[in-house]
Amino acid sequence: MKITGKHTINAPRDQVWGRLIDPDSIAACLPGVETLDKVGDDEYSMAMNIGIGMVKGTYTGKVRLSNMNEPTDYQMYVEGSGRPGFIKGTGTVRLADGENSTTDIEYNGDVEVGGPVGAVAQRMLGGVANRMVGQFFGCVESKITGE
Amino acid sequence: MVASSPFGSSIKRREDPRLITGAGHYTDDVRLPGMLSMAILRSPHAHARIVNIDTSAAKAMPGVVAIYTGADLVDLVAPVPCAWQPKNSDIKVPEYRPLAVDTVRYVGDGVAAVVAENRYMAEDAAAAINVQYDTLPVVVHQLDAMKDGAPQLYDSVPNNVAFHFHLEGGDVDAAFQKADLTFKQRLVNQRLIPNAMETRGAVASYQRGSNELTLWCTTQNPHIVRFLMSLCTNIPETQIRVLSQDIGGGFGSKIAMQAGEMIASVISKDLLRPIKWMEDRSENYVSTTHGRDHVDDVEVAAMKDGRVVGLKVTAYANMGAYLSTAAPGVPTWLFTVTQSGAYDIPNVASDVYGVLTNTTATDAYRGAGRPEATYLIERVMDLVAKKLNLDPTEVRRKNFIPSDAFPYSIASGAIAYDSGDYDKTLDRALEMIDYAALRKEQEQARAEGRLFGVGFSTYIEVCGLAPSAAAGAMGFGGGLYESAVVRVHPTGKVTVLTGINPQGQGEGTTFAQLLNGELGVPVEDIEIVWGDTDRIPMGWGTYGSRSTAVGGSALVFAARKVRDKMMKIGAHLLEVSPEEVVFDQGSVHVKGAPDQVKSFGEIALAAYTAWNMPEGVTPGLDESYFFDPVSNTFPFGAHVCVVEIDKDSGKADVRRYVAVDDVGNVINPMIVDGQIHGGIAQGLAQAVLETAVYDDNGQLLSGTMMDYAIPKASSFPNYELDRTVTPCPFNPMGLKGVGEAGTIASTPAIMNAIVDALSPLGVEHFDMPASPQRIWQLVHEQKGN
Repeated sequence: MKITGKHTINAPRDQVWGRLIDPDSIAACLPGVETLDKVGDDEYSMAMNIGIGMVKGTYTGKVRLSNMNEPTDYQMYVEGSGRPGFIKGTGTVRLADGENSTTDIEYNGDVEVGGPVGAVAQRMLGGVANRMVGQFFGCVESKITGE
Repeated sequence: MVASSPFGSSIKRREDPRLITGAGHYTDDVRLPGMLSMAILRSPHAHARIVNIDTSAAKAMPGVVAIYTGADLVDLVAPVPCAWQPKNSDIKVPEYRPLAVDTVRYVGDGVAAVVAENRYMAEDAAAAINVQYDTLPVVVHQLDAMKDGAPQLYDSVPNNVAFHFHLEGGDVDAAFQKADLTFKQRLVNQRLIPNAMETRGAVASYQRGSNELTLWCTTQNPHIVRFLMSLCTNIPETQIRVLSQDIGGGFGSKIAMQAGEMIASVISKDLLRPIKWMEDRSENYVSTTHGRDHVDDVEVAAMKDGRVVGLKVTAYANMGAYLSTAAPGVPTWLFTVTQSGAYDIPNVASDVYGVLTNTTATDAYRGAGRPEATYLIERVMDLVAKKLNLDPTEVRRKNFIPSDAFPYSIASGAIAYDSGDYDKTLDRALEMIDYAALRKEQEQARAEGRLFGVGFSTYIEVCGLAPSAAAGAMGFGGGLYESAVVRVHPTGKVTVLTGINPQGQGEGTTFAQLLNGELGVPVEDIEIVWGDTDRIPMGWGTYGSRSTAVGGSALVFAARKVRDKMMKIGAHLLEVSPEEVVFDQGSVHVKGAPDQVKSFGEIALAAYTAWNMPEGVTPGLDESYFFDPVSNTFPFGAHVCVVEIDKDSGKADVRRYVAVDDVGNVINPMIVDGQIHGGIAQGLAQAVLETAVYDDNGQLLSGTMMDYAIPKASSFPNYELDRTVTPCPFNPMGLKGVGEAGTIASTPAIMNAIVDALSPLGVEHFDMPASPQRIWQLVHEQKGN
């Protein structure tokens, strides 16, 4: 399933970049993250609690950031599995200078879900994913502007 | 109630008060002391190698008694059997382990079974099992799976083609050469999920000491379960008792052996504890067999006057990841022998490819092969009419097998129809719908720009699935006769044991009516018993609309043996010879002297006390009969559907639905009407609503009732029903069977109406389901052009 979207953060690009690739900000801002531990260069193990429709549960897996071109774009790979099934996704995040010292973020990715969550949640997944991404960027913004 | 005829009385179903007041006894109602609950961990991947299964954390969880993986079961149970291996095919049956050993091949493939003190503990522990998978490429569509370079499910099955089946009659190539019109059409018969109200499940209890396995399960054929379970577990049949009494619907999805039944049985034997396994709905959607899923390429040769002279069919059937118990018989024999429908088509060739894919296995679903065939031939009739600018009823009449041509052998000679009068049902249907006025109304509607369509289905179907010799010739691994015992008790009450196994079809009532007709015993004094292999002689179960035509016939013949014996005993008590008495409404009296009489009860008591028996007559009144008919039965009919499509919403509204069916003689008209109603509903659901959808990764997207479009009461029109009666000559009641007729007939009638409604937009064919969204899209694309 394809997930694409745009978001504007009211902060300059270098600050946004720093936050987006910082594990502590990711852990603090991505909804449902329970643990995020560095296991290698730009690679983290993660436990995340997500509820999609009636299928709720904890997924454990990993996050890897790659092809980082500071402060323009990077790729992100996420995989997790748990009682409700598995989620796997890759995506690209692009940053560009917006008007008045803002940053325009464009993301697009491909997400695969499987097992019971795949059967139950596919039709809701797009909405859930976009909401989570929105919450994430909103949180990043408030962390920066709150400083 | 004492009837002189077993036919025509709409008494209410005797089983209903119990069932509708919650007093039914289903598999999940079985609760045994010390019983454990089993949960099956299923693969979330459609195709993957199992690298490692770590059960250590799960085993340590509270209440967990044992965990079995596929490897643990290899020595305990044989693979799930495929019992229908068609002869004229090159079938390759891949190994179907109840729990996958090295490789999972569909989302839902069993990986481990957890047994715990209760269901919650079992499910929680299943979630704690850590399975490491190495995912493999996935293929879900049969046409993709056959391509070179496609992901292979098994090394032993090249290009994933499990079998190629061919059946042919006449000279098809010559027919195509001389034809005025030839054309090709692809028809897709989508995948369906059977959705029985009661999911599959089992309670297995292996007794130490007696070494007997008692298995409660929800099956359409308990003797087949016993037979196959014995072969798969090495427990002798004498030590297996299968019980299957109240069943919450089957529709074909409870014919096949279910891995869960086998796993529960061998774990019960291993642990010496009763084991319960019941699917929840999500599990049912992936683990119980699906239905249909064909791509059919049809080539048609016709003459200018509408005569169809040749038919070539190439069918691609999606079998799923494994070959289920009866699955290969469905797209081969059951599909091909009804392909020419009610029509005299002298040249027919069929090729069927059974293809393995990374999806849930398919098997019989109400109609099993015959809905696919009927949809095909009924669409063909409409396409011929359209292309030659003829009325669809005219084309049908031109091709009907004439009523004096029975028994009628189809082109391949593989089967012969028993009896029929196809014009008669069509005449009656046209009269009921007022055809001339209807076409005028359509003209008017079209002039107003409305999408208004009329569709026909002048179907036939093969019922009374039998005889055993045909079963053997078709590669079915069993017989298709049926058994009955009529046991008169000393008080005159009667127990009937039958080898059929109804799931709501009403034989608890109709079989009592049949016996009442034969012996005059009041219906309330008759008990019909099924679903217990310890009480009932070998029988083959309920599917293929065979129960009454085959099982009912066995009952009638057993009853006639009882009657003959009662006449001997009655004559002896009346001190006359058996030739001098008559059997009249349950009593025996001297011919011409009705006051010299012995009642049913008096004779029954005399037979059991045996104080005064005629010479050479043994005590007791307990007779059995195994009936194997000489042929199948062929019900037929004419269904007419009137549809109007709302351009704005895309919804196809069925405005009228007329069904004239001929199922031979009718025992209980109300029950037959009910079967027709339910059947039409199920066929309509395929036409406009239901479809099982996989994504490219083999994930079932329509995995819940929120996503899979089950019809609601509001989805259905009022049905206008009538019947004609053309008795079947092959059974003593002259009846044909009705369990699947409605489903087989209605799907093409509705689709033909929808295509007719869409034809002003230039549409000649539209694949199912004709859902509002898909029709809306079509209408708006046309507008855009």
